[in-house]
Formats: sequence, structure tokens, C-alpha cells
Amino acid sequence: MSLTAFYVLAAFILIFAVLAVTTANMVRAALSLAVTFFLVAGLYLLLGSPALAAIQFMVNASAIPIMTLFIIMMTQSRTSPAPRTWQLVAGFLAAAAALVFFKGAVGHGDGQITPVSPETLGVNLLQAALLPFEVASLLLLLAMVGAIVLARRRAD
Amino acid sequence: MVTLGHFLLLSGLLMVIGLYGVLTRRNLIAVLMSVEILLNAAALAFASVAAYRDPQIFAGQVFALFIIVVAAAELSIGFAILLNVYRTHGAVTDDAISEMRG
Repeated sequence: MSLTAFYVLAAFILIFAVLAVTTANMVRAALSLAVTFFLVAGLYLLLGSPALAAIQFMVNASAIPIMTLFIIMMTQSRTSPAPRTWQLVAGFLAAAAALVFFKGAVGHGDGQITPVSPETLGVNLLQAALLPFEVASLLLLLAMVGAIVLARRRAD
Repeated sequence: MVTLGHFLLLSGLLMVIGLYGVLTRRNLIAVLMSVEILLNAAALAFASVAAYRDPQIFAGQVFALFIIVVAAAELSIGFAILLNVYRTHGAVTDDAISEMRG
């Protein structure tokens, strides 16, 4: 049952990810990316981690595509130009090299999924990882202020 | 039953797709979108290893949360920079910013 769910999710994730990096139409690419991240949230549910799935859905599958669509429309980039020949060659070479590198991942066969409740994840976040948590909030604040300052329209 | 290898292989394939996108895309927004795929693949690998191998602390899932946070920060700054590139160069393709002096 869960194997079927995994294969269906994985197939659609790969299809939409390939669409997101190859479609010339930028809006379609951004929407494919949103669907990819939405399906990855389903994968997190399959991993027994509803908290991670919820955060993935809220941030990566909702907020980031909206921001991407805004910036696509603000910069009027309807299409991405077709890649140059050397870029295609480099892309395929790097993809093949990475494929060879990641092929060994199939070997990790055994093991059982331990579901993690949002409560456990939250306690771990605020006890074992308290310092990174605070640093992350500072990083978000800095990114927010920095983005506002960078994107501000100059007075001149 | 779904094994850790399934998840790691899927994450590796996502990484391959993202790498291909980073190298072949010419619109800079599309490059940032491919970087997003790369970061998500890494987060998926961390989360799956935590679910299978770390039943007490789930450090990998906490790390996946931080990856999402860093990705959001990186993307907002990147988009702000691209907005400035559009204002100064009129386009956000890679050949618009091929010169050192605008």
C-alpha cells in the first residue's frame, strides 16, 4: 500500500521536476515547481512526519511559488531562452556524473520508519537545537530587512 | 515496503534534475528555482535518514526545517537582487549581466 503511494508520488515528483527545469514558459515552470513541492509534502507524510509536511506545504508549496510568480511578472520574463549547446552538454555531463555518484544510495535496504509527532519535533527543536533556532530567526529577520532595502525603489 | 534506499534514490534523482536545471537555464529566476529543487532534495535526504536511522532525536528532520528556512531567506534576497538587475539591465537573463561594469 505505502509502496504504491511512494511510487505514484515519486513518478509525479520526477515528472513535474523535469517540467520545472525544462519548460520554456516561466509561469508554467513555477507552477510545476509548486506541484513538485506539494508532492514532496506528501512524501513527508509517508515518512511519518506531519509537522514537516505542513511546513513544506505552507512555505515551499505556497509562499515560495507566489513569490516566484510575483517576481516573474515584475521582471516580465515570460519565457526562459533556450539553452546554448555547451550548456546542454555540461548539464547532461553533470547529471550523468551525479547519477553515477548517487547510484550507491540503493544499497540502504533495511530499517523501519519511526513516525515523529509534531510534539517530539518541537521539543527537539527547542531543546537540542535552541541556538540554531534562534540563529535561524535572526537570519530570517536579516533576510527580510535586506530584501526590503535591496528591492526599494531609489529616490532619484 | 518502502526502504531508505527508495527515498535516497528519489532524492538523488531530484538532485540530478536540479543540477541539470542550474546548468542549462538562462533566465536567472529559473536558475533560482532549480536551486530550490536542489535544496529540497537535500532536505528530503536528511528527513528520510532521520526517520529510518535516528528514532530518538530526529536531528535530520530538524535539519530539514533549517534547510527550508535558509532556502526561504536565500530566495528572497536572490529575488531582490534580480529585481535590481531588471531595473539596471532591463532583463534577467544570463547574458544581461555578462559584463563586469554595467
